[in-house]
Amino acid sequence: MTTDTYDGPILEIENLSISFFTRLFEIPAVMDFSTKVMPGEAMGLVGESGCGKSTVALGVMQDLGVNGRIVGGTIKFKGQNLNEMSPQQLARIRGKEIAMIYQEPMASLNPAMKIGKQLMEVPMIHEGVSEREAWQRALEVVTDVRLPDPERILDAYPHQLSGGQQQRIVIALALMANPSLLILDEPTTALDVTVEAAVVEIVKDLGKKYGTSMLFISHNLGLILETCDRICVMYSGEAVETGSIADVFDKMRHPYTQALFRSIPLPGADKNSRPLVAIPGNFPLPNERPRGCNFGPRCDYFESGLCDESDIRMDTIAGDDRHESRCLRFRDIDWDAPIRAAIEVEKAEIGDIVLKVDNLKKYYEVAASALFSHGEKKVVKANETLSFVAREAETLAIVGESGCGKSTLAKVLMGLETATDGQIILNNKGVESTPIQERDTATVSSVQMVFQNPFDTLNPSMTVGRQIMRALEVFGIGKSESARRQRMLELLDLVKLPRDFADRMPRQLSGGQKQRVGIARAFAGDAKIVVADEPVSALDVSVQAAVTDLLMEIQREKKTTLLFISHDLSIVRYLSDRVMVMYLGHVVEIGSTDQVFSPPYHPYTEALLSAVPIADTSVTKEHIVLEGEIPSAMDPPPGCPFQTRCRWKKDVPGGLCDREVPPIKKIADGHHIKCHLSDEKLAQMVPVIKIAAE
Amino acid sequence: MEPITWSGSLGPFLNPVMLAAVVLFFAAFVINLVMSFAGMRQAEPIVNPDHTISYRMGPVDFTLAAMKYSVFAVLACIVIFILGGILQPGMEAKGIIGGVSARFLPVWIGLVATFVLSIRYKRRLGLYGKLFDNLIGMIGFGLVMFWIFTAIFAPMIATHGAIDVVSAMRNDVPGSPVPGAAADGLFSHYLLGGDALGRDVFSRMVFGAREVLTIAPVATLFAFMVGITLGLPAGYMGGRFDTLITFVANLVLAFPVILLFYLLVTPEIVEAGVPVYMAAVLFLLPVIFIWVLLYSRYRNQPGVIKWVAIPITLALLLLYLGTVFEFDPFVWLTTSFIGYLNQGNPVSDWMLTTRENYEPLVGIPIDGNLLIVFVAVVFVNSPTVFRIVRGLVLDIRTRDYVAAAQTRGEGPWYIMLWEILPNARGPLIVDFCLRIGYTTILLGTLGFFGLGVDPESPNWGSTINEGRRLLTIYPHPPLPPALALMSLVLGLNLLADGLREESLKD
Repeated sequence: MTTDTYDGPILEIENLSISFFTRLFEIPAVMDFSTKVMPGEAMGLVGESGCGKSTVALGVMQDLGVNGRIVGGTIKFKGQNLNEMSPQQLARIRGKEIAMIYQEPMASLNPAMKIGKQLMEVPMIHEGVSEREAWQRALEVVTDVRLPDPERILDAYPHQLSGGQQQRIVIALALMANPSLLILDEPTTALDVTVEAAVVEIVKDLGKKYGTSMLFISHNLGLILETCDRICVMYSGEAVETGSIADVFDKMRHPYTQALFRSIPLPGADKNSRPLVAIPGNFPLPNERPRGCNFGPRCDYFESGLCDESDIRMDTIAGDDRHESRCLRFRDIDWDAPIRAAIEVEKAEIGDIVLKVDNLKKYYEVAASALFSHGEKKVVKANETLSFVAREAETLAIVGESGCGKSTLAKVLMGLETATDGQIILNNKGVESTPIQERDTATVSSVQMVFQNPFDTLNPSMTVGRQIMRALEVFGIGKSESARRQRMLELLDLVKLPRDFADRMPRQLSGGQKQRVGIARAFAGDAKIVVADEPVSALDVSVQAAVTDLLMEIQREKKTTLLFISHDLSIVRYLSDRVMVMYLGHVVEIGSTDQVFSPPYHPYTEALLSAVPIADTSVTKEHIVLEGEIPSAMDPPPGCPFQTRCRWKKDVPGGLCDREVPPIKKIADGHHIKCHLSDEKLAQMVPVIKIAAE
Repeated sequence: MEPITWSGSLGPFLNPVMLAAVVLFFAAFVINLVMSFAGMRQAEPIVNPDHTISYRMGPVDFTLAAMKYSVFAVLACIVIFILGGILQPGMEAKGIIGGVSARFLPVWIGLVATFVLSIRYKRRLGLYGKLFDNLIGMIGFGLVMFWIFTAIFAPMIATHGAIDVVSAMRNDVPGSPVPGAAADGLFSHYLLGGDALGRDVFSRMVFGAREVLTIAPVATLFAFMVGITLGLPAGYMGGRFDTLITFVANLVLAFPVILLFYLLVTPEIVEAGVPVYMAAVLFLLPVIFIWVLLYSRYRNQPGVIKWVAIPITLALLLLYLGTVFEFDPFVWLTTSFIGYLNQGNPVSDWMLTTRENYEPLVGIPIDGNLLIVFVAVVFVNSPTVFRIVRGLVLDIRTRDYVAAAQTRGEGPWYIMLWEILPNARGPLIVDFCLRIGYTTILLGTLGFFGLGVDPESPNWGSTINEGRRLLTIYPHPPLPPALALMSLVLGLNLLADGLREESLKD
């Protein structure tokens, strides 16, 4: 074993190739991958799903399963080749020297074991320390990950903690053995934004405190910017560009990196004047990779005869610190050329009010026991006095974290639930207490929904065409089967899918294509209002842009009102006209996009804005981390719903926040905030996001 | 005359070969075991520079190869026996194995045709086609199809009638010649011997396949229809209805099955009409199922409802009335109408008596005992199916496509039958195969206890029971039906395994 005085690179991967073998052929998952992680350094690994970033991590752990095999290259950990180690040697290193944090916290914790026991196991196995010492260490680490009341936490079972707390325990578990290298595989993807921000904060601080090197795997460029020192961009099994954060973000030298940055909504992008640029084409399947450059077929700078000739090696960029690119033409490309002038489109005129929601309330009664209904009943206040209007051709974004009541609002609008109180006026008709079965076809077809999960939105055992035609049938469109088929093909044209997709099964489509079919289905009955429930959040970055633009285009054409439910403030800022921020069933702030994204803010909006990672080095953010967890809707705090986590609470005199729900306060025309803060205090607020002058 | 030998003229050559192969197999197995205890392992794959994989064979690999080839040798011998039996002339040359395989000729042809066609077109046949990528599934499918073809071609295969008695052949050993067969126009031998009454064991086994394979799948199908019709709304709507049905299902499951069967065949209970009432309820559910299935799908197309859905449902309803109540509304209406018009003359008297005892034109005549068996099997199996369906529905109803159907205003039954049920089909098909196996065993058990089925029936269960009494002296009568039962159930289980594996790969 090496001593602690080792000062070379912690992890050194050279020309690593990993393949998976099936009965018929070999599937290369990672090819010619090299990287170096120095002590205390954080390395970010970015790429879309299927690019091989997780395979690299598993390769480092030597845990590739029965089909996977390292077919070339070396992985050196503190100078020792991991490929040549025996299982016993590996077992000593795993968990002790290299620790890994996975995406799903619940899946990494043993549900039948108390947290304390799981934490204590690590030093007891690896270092053979006594039980008491292990307990002390566990207590220390749990305090380090900023969990309240560590003793109680140690005595709890995993299911008694929230998702954010579980992930902190997983981090604590990884840190118990004081490892030299920490591998984080999308550690925050399953968490809410504000919780994510807190977890990222902990990871960053602890990395510094313990001097741990990190390999941070993520698809989110903003998150990498916040946490890492260096970055490696992967595409289709290869590293395409690697370098320091500053070099890669500001002086990218690979067309894929550039395309990736152009397809994500950064502050400054605008849906009409500076739309996102989607990467054309599709991600190549591992066994259908092109010859030469893998990105060639989708690249703007592709030159046949050069890029499709032979394998391309990483090439160093002179003048930068270990900045390399896998591109033959990076010296010829003018990297500072402005984005090719996109066709500027006219914004659709915002029309009359089509939907008016007034004092809407939705309460659920939850019986204490399902069998004996006379038990104590609890009331879940999912929506509390919601009031807003939506106009024709307008995009109203509904923002909030899980449990804020945005999905309940969607259900009530669609008629899947009826309102407890209040009014929903749709086409001059009150529909708040009409369940969907009693709504007439015109009403049903005019309010439709686009769902979040592309893998779930289509019935897997019905062809794409049949599903759209069923919607047409139900809405009474088209007199005959052939007329409906014709209309269905036109709808496929509308969402830019080839017509022969009509006879395909959903499993033959990619995520983005499925989402397009979902959009076509929603527009089957010429919907006036479309509720889009996080329609792109489950898609890869490069596909997100294309689907978002499609939605916008259809909206402009059909003058549809779009209710865009999202937790991603970057995309909301990019595409919405007005924004409504929800917290625990309340609308805490509503206003035009500019009004909501600039001060004065509601304290919750302020925290949300600060939590969203932005992939732009010129942006500086005010640092606000929310303490604690979102309270349960079963047991909301008295007074202001946000008072338990609000950092401005002390500025309201007389403990008003604890006692009274704040009134809705008009700040400017169309801008309303539900807060007790005085006007002077609100006026003192500074912008959370500042873009440095260029 | 002497009984014919088991292996006929091929025996002297093939028997030693087979024996050698079996010995080799076990020797290799033992050596392999010893080597693996000694810590020797299979060769590691070597990755070549051109990204292919090769192996360097070690001693362990050689033993494995020896085991593999000895299995192939045994299989080859069996194939030669089968072909030899078909091709050789004369019963003495064929031997018992050859004779039996020659009788199964239609089954062999059917099997070969099925496999050749299925493998040829497997890429176009969906899940069924994918079964042919899986060795286990193919073996299971082959075993099941063997018995299905046997049931179909039973009269061509059987050498004698199922209840034909040749009293001289009582308890005769396999291969015994039938005295005076040529004169009476009978088949010359009892291939698998005779039972205690002098009936041909082979023929009874073949006809038994027919009995088993008609009742088991149909009863299972009905159990599924009932389970699905109740499980879908219970899972989808939940609430009190769910609580109630689940409770009833638990009650049924908690009741001892065999006791239930004994109760159902008790004469008092039969006379009280309990089985008929149960049949009335259980058989009505599939009719309702089909109607709701069609109605919910074509709700918006009145033409299809009028010309397809209503006629199909009415036809099923007639079938239901005829089968369960032996009631045919057409015959009943005409006879009573004519009888009413011409009261007091002989024609009308005849008409009115006919009204009381007639055979319904539509309806499957089911023997009273069989109806009881049928009802009992459906009754016992449907709660389990109900619980599987309910569990699947609870999972699938949270999917977005179900929400999408709700938001376009689909009715609950459309969602249950067309959005949820098709996506639950994987586990249900697998369970269906397994459940036919259980039902077959259940029927065998019932036959063994002499419950419900005709004592003369060649049903495998009852045949095993009959042979039980003289088992120590004459083991040959109960063995063939027992092996048949085992191979059918094994085939169904393997088929279910194969289907499960292949449906997961999607």
